[in-house]
Amino acid sequence: MTSGTFAVLGLYSDPQKIVDAANNIRPRKLGRLEAYTPYPVHGLDRAIGLAPSRLGALVMGMGILGTSLALLFEWWTSAVDYPLVTGGKPLFSWQAFVPVMFEVTVLFATFTAGLAMLFVFNKLPFFGHPVLHSEAIKDITRDKLALSIENSGSKFDAEVARQALLENGAESIEVVPVPAWNRPLSLVGLLRTMGAIVAACVVAGVGIYGVQKLLPIVPPLVRMHNQPKLNAFRSSTFFADGRGMRPAVWGTVARGHLPPAFATPEEAGDMIGNPLPLTQQTAERGRKVFSDHCAVCHGAVGDGVALLSRAYGGKPANLLSNELRGRPDGYIYGVMMLGKNAMPSYAPDLDDSDRWSAVHYVRVLQRAQNAKDEDLR
Amino acid sequence: MTTEASRSPLVRNLLVALTLVGGAGAAGVYVNAGPERFWANWLVWTLFLLTIGLGSLFLVALERLVGAHWSVPMRRVPERMASLLPLAIPLLLVAFLAVPVLFPWTYPEAAHNPILVAKAPWLNLPFFAVRLAACAVVWSLFYSFYVRGSLRQDDSKDPNFTVRARRLAPPFMVIFFFTVTIVAFDWISGLEPEWYSDMFGVYLFAGTFLSGIAAMILGVFGLKRRGRLPDVQSKHFYNLGTLGLAFTVFYSYIGFAQYMLIWYANLPEEVVWFKHRIEGAWQPVALLLPLLHFLIPFFLLVGGQAKKSPAVLRIAAISILLGHFVDLYWLIFPVLGAEPRLGWPELAMACLFLGLGLLQIRRVMARGADMPVGDPLLVKGLEWQL
Repeated sequence: MTSGTFAVLGLYSDPQKIVDAANNIRPRKLGRLEAYTPYPVHGLDRAIGLAPSRLGALVMGMGILGTSLALLFEWWTSAVDYPLVTGGKPLFSWQAFVPVMFEVTVLFATFTAGLAMLFVFNKLPFFGHPVLHSEAIKDITRDKLALSIENSGSKFDAEVARQALLENGAESIEVVPVPAWNRPLSLVGLLRTMGAIVAACVVAGVGIYGVQKLLPIVPPLVRMHNQPKLNAFRSSTFFADGRGMRPAVWGTVARGHLPPAFATPEEAGDMIGNPLPLTQQTAERGRKVFSDHCAVCHGAVGDGVALLSRAYGGKPANLLSNELRGRPDGYIYGVMMLGKNAMPSYAPDLDDSDRWSAVHYVRVLQRAQNAKDEDLR
Repeated sequence: MTTEASRSPLVRNLLVALTLVGGAGAAGVYVNAGPERFWANWLVWTLFLLTIGLGSLFLVALERLVGAHWSVPMRRVPERMASLLPLAIPLLLVAFLAVPVLFPWTYPEAAHNPILVAKAPWLNLPFFAVRLAACAVVWSLFYSFYVRGSLRQDDSKDPNFTVRARRLAPPFMVIFFFTVTIVAFDWISGLEPEWYSDMFGVYLFAGTFLSGIAAMILGVFGLKRRGRLPDVQSKHFYNLGTLGLAFTVFYSYIGFAQYMLIWYANLPEEVVWFKHRIEGAWQPVALLLPLLHFLIPFFLLVGGQAKKSPAVLRIAAISILLGHFVDLYWLIFPVLGAEPRLGWPELAMACLFLGLGLLQIRRVMARGADMPVGDPLLVKGLEWQL
């Protein structure tokens, strides 16, 4: 009889009685104690001797693993494998890494909590429980509480268990046999499951394809995007030469973009002076041009120390140097037009008044760094 | 038992002596160390007491708002901790004298600063005083309603008070958030009026709420150790610990979000505020914050069993309160200079305010029954199961 018994169930109506019964039976070690109840009963987990769940520790461990992996990954991608300066920040910027570390921690922790709960601690996949085939299950799912002494090996004796439950106030007793089917992972079962998955995929795929082909689905809010138009840097069939972007008409020059009449900055210095008067307005405009185009390398005060030069180790000119203070305005203008050393020409980016305003502003910066007493008055 | 010992006049006399020594020291601070340092200390300690009181009042109202049962047997503790408000509100009113000393928008130079001129409709003395008075009135009214009303209910056993307290909770929440934001903007970020952060109000609220929880934990165990509150059990602590853990994370989240956005945008007028606080001599203080306010309480409280352990909860609560104090110090003191000031003036002011705060807590801990015996929800709270 011992080998054929899965468990002995004792049914109760009163939650307090089942807790007391479990507390009395637990020290006798008649078998594994389990309880089946239609609603949670406070204190029953301790009464049947359930150890505190180890899920929390597992979640903690996996969470810390997630944090560490995210940090390792971000360090490797941003600082080692593909170093790329973003926004002038250091390559290893932990501040920027924290959100990703946080998300990966939560991802690892929640997936561990869900999956470990189902597959490790609740022992899924589990296709049927012997108690589901008992007579008592109808009552258990309604209003009765079942205390179950389950077969845990040699020391288990169904008769002793039955007596123990009766002595502790069980209203009725049922002996649940080990069910005949005990091979949940049979070949037929697996094949049926896989067949069902394949069938579901086929139905879903054909369905989605059919809906997209047969039903006139209008994409929302992209009609303006799809109108005929010219795109920058794209070819076009509208013009004979096949170019989308139009070159300037032959023989014309855009306002403020006359080609220079000089070949070197030195020549420019000899040839031309600043046609713009130095006013509050031109200086303000120069400051805007300078901070938009020049400050990124030459520095906000023009001393040649700036984010980019620091990051890449370049050596932009110090505009405050004595040499540059001695150069004429036209020379600075010429460098902007033609470029110098690593500095490219800024002729396409700035128009004439922008350049001359920037020259004024460079002079302002030089003056500010070499202020005399009367400047302060 | 020890209930009698805790009422011994010796402790009271020691606290009175501490306060008097602190008071004398504080006068010395004003004369010898200058009004700036005096008022900075005053502000830190006043806000410390005020935020604990506000956090406790918030806990009381929060219980009413969500209809919680588990916390009813312990509610007398935050109600008593909220009695720091009648102490801190007058201290904050006195701190109005600090405004012309510490707050740059009151200086004559402010008229030449375009940012401060633009902010003048908000940052001007009459409107500042109006906001301060409005906050003080609102807090006093809510304090009187929730705390005194609950005490009256002990005798009257009037169940209608429980209903009225719940009805008032939603408007309380809205008004409370406004007042905490005003405190944060006026009294802390107003010290560097060119700085700007949307999130600062929420940041102070997170610290306020968290220190309210920490004070509640310490209060509950203080009473339990003296044999009072025998019916409050580990199931009740567990929820306190959970709340503490959740809002430890919330505080850290808000604190970091504020820092990261400013760090990322790197705008000069915003980033300089952090530059003064996390570089140079202030760096060790800044590093204390994540330690005391996040790492210690988080890892102490994250385990399930730990939330039922009085020792663990107490250490976490002490860490949070220390962290909250360091937080206020770190927010306010950098306006005095690039070096953290920590010397006899700070010690003297600490004696004064700690003495005042502890005397007040000691006084109110004897007030009324230890549990809200008139609240019809008390039975549910005692029977409540985890």
